[in-house]
Amino acid sequence: MADQKKFYLTKKGLEDLKKECEVLKNLRNAKTKGESPKLWESEDLNPEYLSFQEDLEFLETRLAELENVLDNFSLIEKPSKDKLGVVDLGATVTVQVDGAKDEFVVVGTLEANPALGKISDESPVGHALLGGKVGDEIIISSPVKTIYKIEKIKYS
Amino acid sequence: MNKLVHFFYETGKLKDIPRRGWVLIGMKKPASIMDHSYRMALMTWILGRRKRLNMERAIKMALVHDLCELYAGDITPYDHGSVLPKDKKKWPKLFDTWPRFSKYEKMQNFLKKHKKEQDALKKLTKDIPSEIREEIINLWRDYEKGTSKEARFVRQINRMETLLQACEYSKETNKRPYNSWWIGSEEHIDDPLLKEFMLEVARKFPHNPKKTKKKK
Repeated sequence: MADQKKFYLTKKGLEDLKKECEVLKNLRNAKTKGESPKLWESEDLNPEYLSFQEDLEFLETRLAELENVLDNFSLIEKPSKDKLGVVDLGATVTVQVDGAKDEFVVVGTLEANPALGKISDESPVGHALLGGKVGDEIIISSPVKTIYKIEKIKYS
Repeated sequence: MNKLVHFFYETGKLKDIPRRGWVLIGMKKPASIMDHSYRMALMTWILGRRKRLNMERAIKMALVHDLCELYAGDITPYDHGSVLPKDKKKWPKLFDTWPRFSKYEKMQNFLKKHKKEQDALKKLTKDIPSEIREEIINLWRDYEKGTSKEARFVRQINRMETLLQACEYSKETNKRPYNSWWIGSEEHIDDPLLKEFMLEVARKFPHNPKKTKKKK
């Protein structure tokens, strides 16, 4: 049975997944029709898709995962004017933490990449930031107490 | 077979290469990159059993994710820019907080590290059979990008193994609680099972705030 979890995606994230899904379907079709060599050798093919060349099972698994996401996604949209001052999915949040400034974009789990400042709304910090306003202090204390003071909230 | 023997000889060196973070906090017998990868593989298997993962893929990913460090070195967030002071005695204190960077710096650090590691992995695998080389490189790419659910899980296992090791060192040395790994984990971990695991680690290694020197 398919996972019924809701996946929150930015417009860019959704476009990327749709594109990946389309490419993988073409690869699968080419493989079953025996056209694979030509397609796999195309210079336009993203190197990351090469992992599917020998591993049809992984290709099928990834396609099933993508189809599940595309059946159960919710697009992250800019909130209405009266809610622009509140942290929600898609917000870029500038915080003061341990005497330094940091900036996070709150995204869904599929697009999270903390090394690039994209923090999951399901992580303890990402989740605690949701609903916050400028001036709020978000305290994370499990077990080290860290205070994130919200300085700026921006939506693009 | 000759090429494979050489490959295993080279990767065996990871048994003796200490993880950079443990060196920075001054551990006398720091865990190696291979120590870390081994326990990660074990954690991936055992914790991952409760999830619907392609287990073979996930365990392979845990085993290969740091092979690149043989030539690229173990690059920590503290190695970027001018985070580290010249005085080594000041290094452990840095781990009271998580290093912060601008959006631009994060991107630059990420790209620089990615390029260095990719080049290292290509160098390491250049002479082994192509199907194994491609598999290793593609597993690493997936891990780096966090594309598959296996990659997203193993990336978080990476943090949990490191957090556990930090807690063990904190207990062993009875010095600092190494807040950095806790803070980093609170920003990275979003898998429900691993959040539960993190809470259990917190129970096993209770935090003693007296150990943390407060900034004036």
